[in-house]
This record gives sequence, structure tokens and C-alpha cells, in this order.
Amino acid sequence: MTESLQIQLKKGVLEMCVLALLSKGDNYAYDIASRMAEAVGMGEGTIYPLMRRMQNDGLVTTYLQESGSGPPRKYYKLTKAGANALKAQISDWLAFEIAVRKILGEVT
Amino acid sequence: MNRANFIAQLRAGLSGLHQSDINDIIADYESHFADGMAAGRSEDEVAEALGDPARLARELRAEVGFKRWEQQRSAGNFVGVVLALVGLATIDIMFLLPILGVMLAVFFVIALACVGCLIGGAILLGNLIPGGWELMMGNTALQTLTGVGLLSGGIGGGALLLMILDWVARALIQYARLHFRLFKSANDSI
Repeated sequence: MTESLQIQLKKGVLEMCVLALLSKGDNYAYDIASRMAEAVGMGEGTIYPLMRRMQNDGLVTTYLQESGSGPPRKYYKLTKAGANALKAQISDWLAFEIAVRKILGEVT
Repeated sequence: MNRANFIAQLRAGLSGLHQSDINDIIADYESHFADGMAAGRSEDEVAEALGDPARLARELRAEVGFKRWEQQRSAGNFVGVVLALVGLATIDIMFLLPILGVMLAVFFVIALACVGCLIGGAILLGNLIPGGWELMMGNTALQTLTGVGLLSGGIGGGALLLMILDWVARALIQYARLHFRLFKSANDSI
């Protein structure tokens, strides 16, 4: 896989992955970023513009929660619109994946 | 790069935004450093993993600019959107800029025409107020109708112009988001 195709593919599914992580429970940006960095090699700093965009789009909301040490932490929570967006993106992704696999199956 | 360096570069890239937006963003990254160091990483490691602060600042600027426009459609916020688009500058944006320039000029002229209609209408109607002024037009009815027509034309035209401007800004925002998400960063890390 060429490097640029790989990056574009990953970038395209970042939002879906973050929505999926949040569907399992509210979380804070540092934890989301480290999971995504480990899983798909995302630059950790990218999480903040992404979370801001998802917040603008009404997919997530934030709230502050006291943490054991230090100042309160900003948690992100999936909204109803976010859950719907996740569902739609998963079905798009699966349909796309099946179609691509079919074509690749003919080649390999 | 250490924490202070990273934050300083980020802050420099964000200058010009509302202070509350800047503080919000800086707080996000400060707590990222705090979390990282609590997890046993060094400042340099965290900064390295975060990526280029200048690039992050450009994307954040764009998001903040778009949000401000969606909240309030003012001339200043429109400038913010355009600046953000320029900040994300890519070859396609360079193609877009001349078109945008011409469009803004046309908008400006139409806006002036609307203001002209409003002023003209107001003068014609004001002239009707009894006070010994000579009528500017043939008779009272004609002058009243023309004045009202000019006023409503100016208001209607202005409203239409704002709607079109909003539509254009939204289209640009959509374009820019797709653009920097799918293409801009293709040669950088994500």
C-alpha cells in the first residue's frame, strides 16, 4: 500500500473510530488520543481539532469531571446524533469493505 | 521540543482568535501534557507525539472560525472564515481565491446598491412629512409608492444577499473540511 493511500484511508475513518470508542463509554481526549495513536498511528495532537469539529457538528458534548489528581477533566460524551452518525458510517464502511474485497478477490 | 516551546508555538499560531477560544485550546493541550507526564512520559516525548504545533494551529483556527460563523454571521466572522481558508492554503485554494475576490466585490456593489435604495426611499418618504417642502415627484401617491418600493427593495435585496453569503460560506466550509481531511495531510502524518 502506498503511504499516501494508507494515510488517506486512516484519516477518513478517524471520526468513525472515535465515535466507536465513545459509544463504549465517555472518555477524555488523552485516552482517546493514545488509543488511536497506538491503533492507527494518528498524531496525538490531531485529536483536538477532530473533537472540536465533532462538537461543532453536534456529534459529541463535553462535561467536566473531578479527577483524582489535578484539575477536573474534560470528558466527551456521544450525543444521539453522534450515535446515529456512527451507525450510518459503520454500514457505509461495511458495504464499501465488502465491495472492495470482492474486487480484490478477483485479482488475488 | 519541550512543553513551553510547544505551547508557545501553538499560541503564536492561534493569535488573533478570541481570547476565550485560545485559552480553551491551550487548556486542552496543557492537560494533555499533564496526563502524559503522569503516565511517565517526558515533555519531549509528549510534544513529539502531538505533532507539529503550527499545523495543529491551522486546523484549530479553521474549526474555530467555522464555529464562530455558524454562531453569528458578522462581517468580522466572515473574514475569519476566509483567513482560515487561506491558512489551510493549498493549490486548490489558490484557484479559489480569485473567484472569491470577484464574488466579494460583486457582493460589495450589490450591498452598496441596497443601502442606496434604503437612503433614497427614506428621503422620498421623509419629504412627504408636512413642513412646507416642495414635493420631489409629481404627486403624493407616486412619491409614497416609489419611496416604499425603494425601501422594501433595499431590505429584500439585503436579506437575499445575506442568505447567499451564508450559503457561499457554508459551501466553502464544507469544501475546506473535505479538503484538509482527505488531501491536505496526505503527505504529512495524520
